[in-house]
Amino acid sequence: MTNITISPFNRVEGDLDVEVKYEKNKVVDVKFISRLFRGLEIILRNKDPWDALVITPRVCGICGGSHLYSSASALDMIYNAEVPKNAVKIRNVLAMAETCQNDIRHTYLMFLIDSTNRLYEKYEFYPEILKRWTPLVGSSYKEAIRWSKKYTEIYAIFGGQWPHGSAIIPGGVTTDPYPNEINKALGILKNITSNYLEKVILGGDLDQFLNTVKSVKDLDQWSEDFPESDLGKIWRFGNELGWHKLGFGSGIMLSYGHFPKDEYVKEVDREKDLIFRAGIYIVNKGELVRFDQKNIMEFINKSYYKYTKGDTIGLHPFEGETNPNMSGDKGKYTLTKCFRYNLNGELITPEVGALAMLTVGQNPLILDIVNKLGPSVLARVIARIVRVSIYHKLIEDELEAFEFGKPTYKKPNEEKEGKGYGLVEAPRGALGHWISVKDGKIYNYQMVTPTEINMGPEDPSNNKSHVAKALIGTEVVDVSNPVEVYHIIRSHDACMVCNVH
Amino acid sequence: MKNLLWLQGGACGGNTLSFLNAESPDILEFFEAYSVKLLWHPSLSLESGNKVKEILNEIVNGKIHLDVLVFEGTVVLGPNGTGKYNLFAGKPMKDWVREIANIADYVVAVGDCASFGGVPASTPNPSESVGLQFRNKEFGGFLGREYRSRKGLPVINVSGCPAHPEWIMTTLSMILKGKINEDSLDEYNRLKIIYSTTTQFGCPRNIYFSYKVGLKEFGHKEGCLYFNLGCKGSFTRSPCNLILWNNQSSKTRVGTPCFGCTEFDFPTFNFFKTEKNKAELPKQLPLGVSRGSYTMLSAIARSAAPNFLLRPLVKKEEKVDWID
Ligand code: SF4
Ligand code: SF4
Repeated sequence: MTNITISPFNRVEGDLDVEVKYEKNKVVDVKFISRLFRGLEIILRNKDPWDALVITPRVCGICGGSHLYSSASALDMIYNAEVPKNAVKIRNVLAMAETCQNDIRHTYLMFLIDSTNRLYEKYEFYPEILKRWTPLVGSSYKEAIRWSKKYTEIYAIFGGQWPHGSAIIPGGVTTDPYPNEINKALGILKNITSNYLEKVILGGDLDQFLNTVKSVKDLDQWSEDFPESDLGKIWRFGNELGWHKLGFGSGIMLSYGHFPKDEYVKEVDREKDLIFRAGIYIVNKGELVRFDQKNIMEFINKSYYKYTKGDTIGLHPFEGETNPNMSGDKGKYTLTKCFRYNLNGELITPEVGALAMLTVGQNPLILDIVNKLGPSVLARVIARIVRVSIYHKLIEDELEAFEFGKPTYKKPNEEKEGKGYGLVEAPRGALGHWISVKDGKIYNYQMVTPTEINMGPEDPSNNKSHVAKALIGTEVVDVSNPVEVYHIIRSHDACMVCNVH
Repeated sequence: MKNLLWLQGGACGGNTLSFLNAESPDILEFFEAYSVKLLWHPSLSLESGNKVKEILNEIVNGKIHLDVLVFEGTVVLGPNGTGKYNLFAGKPMKDWVREIANIADYVVAVGDCASFGGVPASTPNPSESVGLQFRNKEFGGFLGREYRSRKGLPVINVSGCPAHPEWIMTTLSMILKGKINEDSLDEYNRLKIIYSTTTQFGCPRNIYFSYKVGLKEFGHKEGCLYFNLGCKGSFTRSPCNLILWNNQSSKTRVGTPCFGCTEFDFPTFNFFKTEKNKAELPKQLPLGVSRGSYTMLSAIARSAAPNFLLRPLVKKEEKVDWID
């Protein structure tokens, strides 16, 4: 048995330590050790509830807009806010623009550069990989640097700035765009579509891609028809490199759903009123079940925290506690809590992210990949590209649906007491904030982040989280250069800073 | 070739992402134009694990000359001064920072966290965070008052949460050209050319500010956000309305108040509400203005306010109760 700790493991929006145990070349155990603590949930206590709109985006530099959206939605619920249609549209555009930015940066800057690993030297297409995806100099890498920031321009037109705008507030948005701003955003989007997405990534027409590629077979065909596209190359090389057989994991997909379709009061029905519905998909049964936030709990038996009622119980975020404690409890090793979902009495360890969102959201191509090949490293990378493509269409729809002259904000009544939660699909997957307000101040603020769900520590029955399951059993070619481990972890777009907040 | 190392402490990564938004030059053009070799960066570099430790150790023992250390995030000292809340490559990040700061030609703190402590260091500061050479207003911070980098300068701050890419680029390029000296820096060791104006310079709502016409609720282009909605733009030194964000906008342009994120005391909380005194005047006055003159000026200005500022600019609304 060999024990290897990768410290620091970078390109996970921050760094973490990964301890991998091998038997010969096979991964037999793994621990994700996050050693960063800022205590934002503690800082939020006793503050004005609106202050969360400024503090929580600072959880994460790459998905701060998702934290903002969660925070504002939780306050919508507490204040019984009416959110006008225009505000819904602008909020959705902000969230999608941020996610596109993330998905491009993640794909090229964080994930694909591992494909230049010397392990792949022997493949005849290795020079092509180097040409495209080498950090700082690869042709597609450079395009990603050039174009990913264009999405932040769309964000800034309505959100003021990215990162860390705070334009989403309970009751709507602070902004009141004129038609010229809507047009400018549409213009930037169009520019990205035709000069980047269609040229570099898809290789062909966006509408054609969305309308015709609905199955594994269609994707094979697309890759043949547009062999020079990055999508085609990723799909073809990925299959040859075995990425489609790597990192299956728990086989349970969870999505909170995202993007209300229309105006609403207080909250929406997460199965009916969202563009992407919420749910839990059990891959081997092909079964989609209902999601209810009541069944979420967090454990700390392996985490450096204390619960007042003992360290083996699980707490729903409304009852959640954040009391860090690093003094010598045996077996504790990380500052990340452990997420579990109680599905009819069984504590499940789902996967979240673009793949889960589109599977639960019934996207035909992604569903077909998952059903035929299973969730894999390759499926996750493809899901991100598909999501960007869908968002390009949706951003356009949302902007076109904006009605100038109608309100973007309706001032809510600031209730002094109450509880609310805000659930979104952040770039990395299901993100939730749970807030209790007492005497007009924040009494308890709990955030449960996608990376915690994917790669938190073990629960009291020693069950591992999804990414650990995806790693265990993996055969790596070279233990001193475990590129398979890199792929599995990074295909999840892990985020350390969200994870620990 | 100039060697640059970028590390993150108690950070959200926002300054890295902001830096990636740089436009002219973008980061790749910048590295090339200034012959910068990026030794390592947490989000951009290929290397993981032992390779990173090797690079860091070679820097510390002088095998690799370090021209610039860029640090993002707070220096985390908790719990109880141990730094165990932020371990990196086998030891507390604070220890790496000390060792590397000792041999770097220049040290740059990017963002409010690294400059002053920022969000993590705000009450009750659960991680015992400090800035590199400031703890809020107080000079000293983690490296101490006397600290000077090899080239004889204190830590050069690029405050802001996050810092704008152009502020970062300008600071770095002046350093790399050897054009920075104590005279280029303000009392918080930031470039004067970036941090001498307030957010109000260039704010489209400034005309409303001048005539004391306030906005009472969010969601409108009209009105100044200072009087009711918490805007700190008149006493925050930032060029946010001169050097626009993402080539497009700024907080106050989209009706979000300025939160004062470039200042030593960020975050001050109560961001969306203006605290007022008994006379219903804002407690915190614009930079450099005395209470007496402000009161006098307000009364005159308000009575001189042109009519078209007191009603919506383009919307047709029967009842307008959102302009003060
Ligand atoms: S106080 Fe704020 S909104 Fe008013 S003019 Fe100044 S920066 Fe603009
Ligand atoms: S407008 Fe104010 S809060 Fe916003 S980035 Fe500029 S200085 Fe910071």
